[in-house]
Amino acid sequence: MREHRTEYLELCAGYVVGSLDRADQEALEAHLAEGCAICEGEIRHLSGAATLLAVQTPARKAPAALRAKVLAAVEADAKAFRPDRTEPALRLEPPPAKRRPPYAAWGLAIAAALIAVVGVLEWRANQDLKKQLAETQASLDQLRKSSEEERSWAEVPMAPLAVALDLSPTPDAPGKIAARITYDPISRRAVVVCTNFTPPTGRDYELWAIRDTGPASLGVIHADASGRSVVRLPDAGSPGGLAGFAVSLENQGGAPTPTSPAGPVVMLGKLRG
Amino acid sequence: MNQPDRDRSALERMVAGDTRALEELYDRHGDLLYSLVRRVLSRAEDAEDVIQEIWLQAWRGARTYDPKRGTVCGWLVSIARSRAIDRLRSEGSRKRATDAAGVDSPDPPESPAESAVDRQRREHVDHAMSQLDPQHREVLQLAYFAGLSQSEISERLGAPLGTVKSWTRQALSRLEKLVPREEWL
Repeated sequence: MREHRTEYLELCAGYVVGSLDRADQEALEAHLAEGCAICEGEIRHLSGAATLLAVQTPARKAPAALRAKVLAAVEADAKAFRPDRTEPALRLEPPPAKRRPPYAAWGLAIAAALIAVVGVLEWRANQDLKKQLAETQASLDQLRKSSEEERSWAEVPMAPLAVALDLSPTPDAPGKIAARITYDPISRRAVVVCTNFTPPTGRDYELWAIRDTGPASLGVIHADASGRSVVRLPDAGSPGGLAGFAVSLENQGGAPTPTSPAGPVVMLGKLRG
Repeated sequence: MNQPDRDRSALERMVAGDTRALEELYDRHGDLLYSLVRRVLSRAEDAEDVIQEIWLQAWRGARTYDPKRGTVCGWLVSIARSRAIDRLRSEGSRKRATDAAGVDSPDPPESPAESAVDRQRREHVDHAMSQLDPQHREVLQLAYFAGLSQSEISERLGAPLGTVKSWTRQALSRLEKLVPREEWL
């Protein structure tokens, strides 16, 4: 565990009002991640006071129409992400009914033969059931995995330190392209939502991270027919070295090197300042 | 059951997928969050967009609430402030908000909506803020409502960075002592 030092206590105050500079924030978060009861107590203590600042605003009544919009959006979201929706009920066909020998008097040999036939049918039915069960289980596992993956990405914007950044078009930007990036500095994941991203024929848009060491390609953006694309980045880069994001317009397939755009930069956004 | 307990209960129901629980929280805290966001963002359209983002974030992230870090209301306020500052930064309209951050010239409310309890709480907080040293008060307001970092505040006030850090802590500690605990959110 990193040793507690008095200067961390001063950082706690800046932390709760959201004014720490990046280096201080990273230092305090690393310290908190290792567990420090003194700083956690200080943050809890000062958070109550920081929340009081919200009261120091002129009181306004939220418009009634806004309430309806919020509740409708939440209802829609609840339906879209309801877990039961993706997990169909497990339904298995019953095994075929056993055939009984119609005439018991046919003798032991025939009865034995029929019993053997029934046995084979039952065995086959059991094998079919096992196969069906295994396939259904595999399908459920896949659905669960997809559902967890979706949920995990949906939580990126909810991360406590997540930052939403709208990229600004440069003078070289064609049309009304728009892109919003949500970046979580803790998991380093980012979600990019692009609209009107249909490139001119023979060209592709490429996404870049602007790092202290220079640009780094995050890949070509493939939009659907309406020009919309959602890009998920499992690792957009360390918050310590990430200054922002950019989009360039490249020849089809992207820039020849992953460390430098070859075409014009059409969108730009800085994480700080 | 007091309000923090009712809020906790509503949040637990939200985690279980009950949208009516969010409605309950909205009715209790919606005006406070709206007032805060409007304090940071002057355009009503921006504020309404951000308000929708805030409640969706609260809905989707209900399970991330940590009671060790404060009350549900405090959690909602921190989401609201954070989202509003994000929007402010993306719009590059920080100067406008900085100008609006001064306590001495707040925007007039569009329509007074306070209950007697809320009004009393605000009077206590206003009084407590008036008891702070002017530079302590300014440090808090520039950080909280204008989203300035400590080095930006240092540059703006012409005070050393270490001093800004000390002022921030002293201001919050003093505020915490001046406002009766029963008035906390």
